[in-house]
Amino acid sequence: MSRLRLVGVFLRLGVLNELQYRANFWIQLIRSLVNLATALAGLGVVFSQATTLDGWRQDELLALVGVYFLVGAGVNLVFLPSMSQFIGDVRKGTLDYVLTKPEDAQLLVSIRRVDIWRLIDVAMGFGVNGVALARLGSDLGPGRAAAFGLTLLAGGAIVYSFLLALATTAFWFVRVENILVVFQSMYVAGRWPVGIYPPWLRGTLTFVVPIAFAITVPASALVGRLDWPTLVGTVVLAAAMLAFSRWFWSVGVRHYSGASA
Amino acid sequence: MISPLATRVPTAPDPTLRGAATRDATISVRGLRKTYAVPEREAGAVAAVRSLVRRTTREVPAVADVGFAIAPGEVVGFLGPNGAGKTTTLKVLAGLLHPSAGEVTVLGHVPWRRDRAYLAQITLVMGQRNQLHWDIPVGDSFVLNRAIYRIPERQYRETVDELVDLLGLEELLPKPVRNLSLGERMKCELAAALLHRPRVLFLDEPTLGLDVSAQRRIRAFVAEYNRRHEATVLLTSHYMADVEALCQRVIVIHRGRLLYDGDLTGLVARFAPDKTVVVELAGDAAPELDLAAYGEVVRRDGGQVAFRVPKAAAAAVVGRLLAELPVVDLTVEDPPVEDIIERVFREGGAQGDVASPPDGAAAREPSDGAVAVPAGVSR
Repeated sequence: MSRLRLVGVFLRLGVLNELQYRANFWIQLIRSLVNLATALAGLGVVFSQATTLDGWRQDELLALVGVYFLVGAGVNLVFLPSMSQFIGDVRKGTLDYVLTKPEDAQLLVSIRRVDIWRLIDVAMGFGVNGVALARLGSDLGPGRAAAFGLTLLAGGAIVYSFLLALATTAFWFVRVENILVVFQSMYVAGRWPVGIYPPWLRGTLTFVVPIAFAITVPASALVGRLDWPTLVGTVVLAAAMLAFSRWFWSVGVRHYSGASA
Repeated sequence: MISPLATRVPTAPDPTLRGAATRDATISVRGLRKTYAVPEREAGAVAAVRSLVRRTTREVPAVADVGFAIAPGEVVGFLGPNGAGKTTTLKVLAGLLHPSAGEVTVLGHVPWRRDRAYLAQITLVMGQRNQLHWDIPVGDSFVLNRAIYRIPERQYRETVDELVDLLGLEELLPKPVRNLSLGERMKCELAAALLHRPRVLFLDEPTLGLDVSAQRRIRAFVAEYNRRHEATVLLTSHYMADVEALCQRVIVIHRGRLLYDGDLTGLVARFAPDKTVVVELAGDAAPELDLAAYGEVVRRDGGQVAFRVPKAAAAAVVGRLLAELPVVDLTVEDPPVEDIIERVFREGGAQGDVASPPDGAAAREPSDGAVAVPAGVSR
């Protein structure tokens, strides 16, 4: 419970601090709108040539764009800024202050920075999904809603674990800022269903950089294309990756305290 | 400055206390050793590229053998030249590093297990590293620490009021850290580190880079905090003024070994075999005179000359100076503690090269305040 409160404190302070800079709100809003427009224009180009893409209809792909925004916003809201601060802290030695706090270091490292403007993307993602569902004329029943929520959470957990594991390598290599940039550029590939990519890239996006599980799977759930094995597989993978990243993190911390100056 | 209330160990620590882990000591360290594996490569591009593929490492002992015990409420200065192992020892005590060997307990905990109960009672302040976030107001960082340490509302209010009052932070709280001066930032760093009322403070160069008045302020604050809360303080500093003002007891380490553990005056008596004789000579006599005949000239500034003279010979030299030179003014003083420390490091180090004591036994050998100093050093 007090951990949730801690998350709340970080979030609240993030909001309060950013609200001082009103100009930033408009800049961030424009940035989000441009991103959305680009994504929609891409869809427009594709569907002026074809009626389906890898079996996805236009409005189904619109839902995928919505999920792309949602998950991206979630990641950029806390995890990416927090991880990049963590990497900086390892380099500067200020991680010592995190490790001397009487709180779980992984938790602290994961939630310390909040980029509240990504909440705009969250709103936009829900908006796009709403429009997509309306245009599909399909009713989001409780079952599908639950599957969507579950896969969205699992997808978020998978991306988080992946980022944490990437950032944890800072304990050994110290300068790994660029590793997060690599993730961000791979993430852009998630704007399309992974099925459209050639097998080698599909494999990469599924098992190496797990964008497929984070975006394509929840989007499938939303539009009712998800089968049971994929749902179960995604949840199991999420649990496994959470466990793995936590283990890897603890190895990293041990290495840090064993060797660093 | 130093509280009469706080309990202290005798200034010349008795050997049983120093060597053994006493039960009532707040900090107890025995046979601490810490070696690092340091990547090693030659200079140059080729070597740099080669080291990407194959790294050769070398074991470097940062702390070879250190042991001491600190009683509750003591303020102890931890001295040593750069690379002596001060920060490494401090980090072991703060739970950041696993030692390679040795026994350490602080407040009855083994630091590197990092028990919540332990971490909630200590604090670490490093003068060259900030914990406050650059972009957010100081007050917000306090709120964050409050949440992390789960400080009850009332206690938090009281503590903040006290710290604001003692350090004069009133106007700083709403400012982002980036708008603060170095001295202001350090005051805020200290306050943030003390919100949870830690019982043990590890201060690593807390006055680094500050101007004299800011240093004085920080010093007075640490002394006051120690007095009010009977907190145990272990402090490293390059500024002897910090140590002179705050610490009755100093622990000197050099090349990872204990060189001296005792009170500051004992350090001066033991390691200052010389007196400084300063004479003011009349007119332009100084340049032509053969001053070296009287003793080692350490400073010469116009008519003013400072000699270093062995203690035993001081009286005779003063007599000769007065008889033979046109002396206007003459003073005899102990060299500044700063110089003494430097001398301790220099000689301790040189001695260490020639013959380091076998298996560190000398480091625990009881003597009157000074330990681990090979006999030759203290003439």
